[in-house]
Amino acid sequence: MNEMQFLTWVRGQGLDLAVSIFLLGVLWRLLEIYGLGRKKDLTAPRHTPGASGWHTVFRRSLPAEGMLKKSPVTYIAGYTFHIGLGGVVFLFAPHIKLIQSLTGLHWPGLPSQFVDLIAIVTIAAMVVVLVDRISKPVKRFLSTFEDWFTWLVTFLPLLTGWLAVRHLLLPYTSMLAVHILSVEILLIVLPFTKLFHAFTVFGSRWYNGTVNGHKGVVV
Amino acid sequence: MPHNATPLHAIPVVTVSAGLRAGELSGNAPTLLREIAEMLRRLLATDAGSAIDLQALPLTPADLIWLRARLGEGEVAVTLNADGDSSLNETACPGVWWVTHRNPQGAVVSEFIEVAYVPDVVRAPREDVVIGLESLESLSAELS
Amino acid sequence: MHGPLIETLARQGVTRRTFMKYCATLASMMALPPAAGRAMAEAMAAAPSASKRPSVIWLPFQECTGCTESITRSHSPTLEGLIFDVISLDYQETLMAAAGHQAEEALHAAMKANEGKYLLIVDGSIPLALDGAYSCIGGKSNLETLKEVAKGAAAIVAMGSCAAYGGLPRANPNPTGAVSVADVIKDKPIINIPGCPPIPVVMTGVLAHFLTFGSLPELDKLGRPKAFYGETIHDRCYRRPFYDQGKFAKTFDDEGARNGWCLFELGCKGPITHNACATVKWNGGTSWPVESGHGCLGCSEPDFWDGGGFYKALSMPANPLKMAAGAAVAGLAAGAAVSIVNRGKKSSARAAHETTTLADLEK
Repeated sequence: MNEMQFLTWVRGQGLDLAVSIFLLGVLWRLLEIYGLGRKKDLTAPRHTPGASGWHTVFRRSLPAEGMLKKSPVTYIAGYTFHIGLGGVVFLFAPHIKLIQSLTGLHWPGLPSQFVDLIAIVTIAAMVVVLVDRISKPVKRFLSTFEDWFTWLVTFLPLLTGWLAVRHLLLPYTSMLAVHILSVEILLIVLPFTKLFHAFTVFGSRWYNGTVNGHKGVVV
Repeated sequence: MPHNATPLHAIPVVTVSAGLRAGELSGNAPTLLREIAEMLRRLLATDAGSAIDLQALPLTPADLIWLRARLGEGEVAVTLNADGDSSLNETACPGVWWVTHRNPQGAVVSEFIEVAYVPDVVRAPREDVVIGLESLESLSAELS
Repeated sequence: MHGPLIETLARQGVTRRTFMKYCATLASMMALPPAAGRAMAEAMAAAPSASKRPSVIWLPFQECTGCTESITRSHSPTLEGLIFDVISLDYQETLMAAAGHQAEEALHAAMKANEGKYLLIVDGSIPLALDGAYSCIGGKSNLETLKEVAKGAAAIVAMGSCAAYGGLPRANPNPTGAVSVADVIKDKPIINIPGCPPIPVVMTGVLAHFLTFGSLPELDKLGRPKAFYGETIHDRCYRRPFYDQGKFAKTFDDEGARNGWCLFELGCKGPITHNACATVKWNGGTSWPVESGHGCLGCSEPDFWDGGGFYKALSMPANPLKMAAGAAVAGLAAGAAVSIVNRGKKSSARAAHETTTLADLEK
């Protein structure tokens, strides 16, 4: 298989396969999780100010008191790379064009140079969180294979995409193909790992807030 | 004519000259001066001529203009009419020739800097001289 | 500089200077050092007389004759065509006067007389389906003919994308089972000159190299001469600066198209296509596809016909997603099925639930 055939495969069959597995996995797991249901809590709800699903969804987006000072890297680098990732994925013009060609939906993007800057900052932030995870004994102890693996499959699309745009390391054809392939791996892995938090994060926060709010506990 | 059709003459045609980089110096030209000097030393030492293929090097049009201006104009300019015009111009440096081959349509097909007392192609080939002599002899035989 | 060829050329009014100029240019195009031009001129001028010229056999298989058209129109009547005077083209259906049995006889006579020494040029792909019945010459399938003629060849030149990779006939779903020369012949040196059609000077350049140095030029991993296929169209494209600046034509008649901006978003395959169009150009250096406002189709790359559409940008999906809708339905079905099972488990657990009484605890 030469570069061209490789690129054609990742743009064609490979993409079809990855998107299909992604959709299958996401729909399956969402339906399964939300179809599970919970036993009705028959106790009388207690009302405490700030104790509700919606409150928790917002509150957990901010660091708990004192935590920002204790673990600044987790919060600052974590926020940076999540927002940066969102920006690079959804505001880079070629990505919007891709989504438009698949779904018909489109929105304005950011200038390429600006996205390039975001990508560099995001890559740096991801490296920082990795180094932090390796260097802090507690974090290292708590990390399993899945943590390292999900970091890698998130990092590779970012890195290869940036290299492809900048024409570094490999010829454009090969780097573009490697980038698309890395995204396909991410798509396939996402529904079946903790990366699924992309879909469940707010749902689970809301659930925790609601269940505890019923008991009058602020979480 | 449908109301939305544009008449042909209304479509503006803009000719855009090649890349914007064309106007920039790549920084590769100055090193050529040293190579040409080395080739001249070899010519003086061994009488061996040599050439640089300008199209094989990463040179921009601006580089070629720069190089040509540095080398200057010499005393001899040869025009060769062989399957399109070629020009072989000696530069201000005797022994350094700027050779441009064109096709019959006038497009540049190859360009060299040749270092030689006289470029090979200018010298009349011996075999052609023989043919020329034969025709001259037959001409004078007819006259006598 | 003397020899049978140059004397033949001289009789046709081609001077030695013209010949030297041609060889210098040819060497430059092939990225050979300037001294090689001189060597080429000497070697070719001295090409042996008519009776001993290297024999070339040109076999046409599943093809459109576009490659032959390209070569014969090189930029006649200039010197490129005269390279053919150095060789003895013993069999070329389109160009030869003989036909039918006489043509077959010429082929076999040439094969016999030059056993092990002739150069075989093939254009067109070889169909394997239905025992090769899709393309036959003189009652023989192309496969049989190729195997028979290749046996005595010194080297094989696969002319055009069909012979080099299977080309258009091999396009999905490949009804004739078309394959390339290299798919069939494994024991001979093969040089691929892909393109639909290839650039004429590439053909003559390779022949000149073979005649001058007695060897094939340096090849890349797809068997193509590096001198011509070493760089991509995009690398040498005069519109490249616009690509680097992010200035793209979005349609064929917008401002970007009129300003000559990059055609990447209109599906140009320049970044992945190795060929010399951007430097050598077509029709005697007049123009080439990108210069005339159309993106590169990628015709010198394998399977260019199945590359996902000529007008789709390289970064776009090649095909509509066929399985995605089915996968989504399957995902919903699986999720629903698992949910039903889970609910069933819950209700059976509820049904099996036994109330603990005080008596139980006191046991």
